[in-house]
Amino acid sequence: MNRRWMAVLLAVSLTVVLAACGGGGSGEGSAGGTQASGAKSQGGAADNDKDKIVIRYWYAFGDKIEEAKQELVRRFNESQDRIEVIAEHQGNYDDLHAKVQAAFAAGNAPAVTDLEIASTGMFARSGMLLELTPYAERDAEALKLDDFNPGLMGNAYVDAKLYGLPFMRSTPIMYKNVTMLKEAGLDPEGPRNWEELEQYARVLKEKGKYAMTVPVDIWFYEALVFQSGGRILSEDGKKALFNSPEGVEPVAFWKRLAEEGLIKIPVGDDAGAAADKDWANQISALRFASTAGVSAAIEIAEGNGFEMSTSFMPANRDYGVPTGGCQLVITSKLTDEEKEAAWEFIKFMTTTESTIYQHKHVGYLPTRLSALETDELKAHFAEYPQYKVAVDQLAYANPRPMENAYPEIVMLIKNAIEKAILNPKVSPQEAMDEAAAKADKLLAK
Amino acid sequence: MPSILNRLRPYAMVAPALVVFSLFYLYPIGYMIHLSFHEWNFISPVKTYVGLNNYREMLADDTFLQVLRNSALYTVMTVLLATGTALPLAIWLNRKSAFHAFVQGAIFSPHIISLVSISLLWSWLMDPEYGLLNGLLHLFGISPLKWLNDPGTALVSLVIVAVWKSLGYNTLVFIAGLQSIPPELLEAAALDRSKPWTTFRRLILPMLSPTLFFLVIINLIGSFQVFETIAIMTQGGPINSTNTLVYYIYEYGFRFFKIGYASAAGVILLIIVGTLTLIYFRLLSRRVHYR
Repeated sequence: MNRRWMAVLLAVSLTVVLAACGGGGSGEGSAGGTQASGAKSQGGAADNDKDKIVIRYWYAFGDKIEEAKQELVRRFNESQDRIEVIAEHQGNYDDLHAKVQAAFAAGNAPAVTDLEIASTGMFARSGMLLELTPYAERDAEALKLDDFNPGLMGNAYVDAKLYGLPFMRSTPIMYKNVTMLKEAGLDPEGPRNWEELEQYARVLKEKGKYAMTVPVDIWFYEALVFQSGGRILSEDGKKALFNSPEGVEPVAFWKRLAEEGLIKIPVGDDAGAAADKDWANQISALRFASTAGVSAAIEIAEGNGFEMSTSFMPANRDYGVPTGGCQLVITSKLTDEEKEAAWEFIKFMTTTESTIYQHKHVGYLPTRLSALETDELKAHFAEYPQYKVAVDQLAYANPRPMENAYPEIVMLIKNAIEKAILNPKVSPQEAMDEAAAKADKLLAK
Repeated sequence: MPSILNRLRPYAMVAPALVVFSLFYLYPIGYMIHLSFHEWNFISPVKTYVGLNNYREMLADDTFLQVLRNSALYTVMTVLLATGTALPLAIWLNRKSAFHAFVQGAIFSPHIISLVSISLLWSWLMDPEYGLLNGLLHLFGISPLKWLNDPGTALVSLVIVAVWKSLGYNTLVFIAGLQSIPPELLEAAALDRSKPWTTFRRLILPMLSPTLFFLVIINLIGSFQVFETIAIMTQGGPINSTNTLVYYIYEYGFRFFKIGYASAAGVILLIIVGTLTLIYFRLLSRRVHYR
């Protein structure tokens, strides 16, 4: 008797296990469904309002950047009572992108997400993003698309269709330790072009200092190529151009200066951090970094007792920088109701008022031209001119390449530059040619 | 009727385990092999069948060959050092005193710390400018190393971390092995006035061989799958000098979104680790020890 009961029990438990597993396996749709309805009822319970639409917004980065994003979401939720946005932190851009992709494949993507600008192409072409052109045309009055700084719109369009609104956008700028420059008897205005940078470096070297610690960062390399009048990829995105003279010149410049001990090029994963540390500890007088770091750099300079200011990156043939940062995009698998809610939200996040707030809190660019006309920002720039440099530099801004294969090409370029700099037997031309041949193969697909 | 139930019972008993096993091991492996013949970016509704193209491309990629070389080099160095230093340590620690117990506990502690914390910790220790290790070298008048920032030393630096982490566990297992050697054998050897080296070579080492073998295989497989330290400390750089198989798979899968290609690399990893495991079971069934 006992035994038979055991068998029955086993059989029952087995069916339960099997059913549970089967449910899990079959159902991306159902899993996504329960999640969404769960979120909905949660929001409804909180506000006793069943009509409220709940959407999720995923964002990258912590610290001051996160504070600003959370604050803007809070303001949006309080500004109206139809939509509730739940903001969720997802790590850095790479983490965020991987998670959005996985969530999208599982039918559980957030309605709105930050998207690093160079990735817009791949996400849009895979059909993950909602095209915003019709929305922007419908709300042209309120949105004022041409109020966004034209230098920031290059990565908002893919194949002439609008996919994102500029949110926390940046360019690299040059940070200067004015105190160190003065002590070395140099003009504190800083070097305006590559030649002057080299002269500055020779003077600083005599004082036992470096002009600059610069990591092999694709963003800075892009800037130097633009300054030389070149392009990374051809206009149609089918061919690598970084092995042209304009693309090789920056590598040769870095290599020569590094070999003479005029600049320091740290490699490895923490190279960026090493460069920042050298600048903070007054080993190097200059550094390239995102405008997103202005607020933090002002604090560092105060703490370590030196005067700091910012300026354009030095010119070669001309000034030139890529832009960076993220825009806000809407994912494509949403109900019409959710799409409208998401659109309302990203419009709010990119208003003149919002962009002024995030600019002052973090240092990212004010994305709208009208923001620059406000008394608030004019007073801010008068007090802290360091913030204004990146805005002026936008006149020389170029969009970043957006080809699907670009992340892989970035790896090829980075390895090639490091090889050219670290290995005396490899010439910059050889290293870049080799990488370009591989990149061409990737682009041909 | 009861006899049928009796016959079914064992299957019913293993069924839950079997279901879990096939769902979480067999199915993913099968799906990975399936994906390795396709081109897919994770989200596009179409998976293009490309036959053996992913494999062909991978074997023609000199980066992949370097990655294989790095993995092999890392594994050999880690296994040799991790077991090679653990054995003398175990012999030294295999006695009962408060001091020895303390040392045993101390060298075991890295084993229970999360690898992420360990990686961050060692990144600081190995910082070329401000790191403690270069400070120590300086004390002895040795010129500073660039550790993780130099393609020549980066891989070895990672090996050091791995050995530091696994040393305690290996030592503990060796001590357990040493204590399972019957004391009468050692007494007999002592009565025969066997020299310590002879006792070690002719008695202790053969009796320890199953333990040694177990550790070598476990370390071998673990080292081939190294990921965390690389993801946190070097991200495969500088110039791919620390790029190993699992990190390569991760990079292609989740940063370049080439799932098919990453799956093909996954199949290669499966073959390598599978072969090692097979050798392990083969040799184990032949029995390497004497009892």
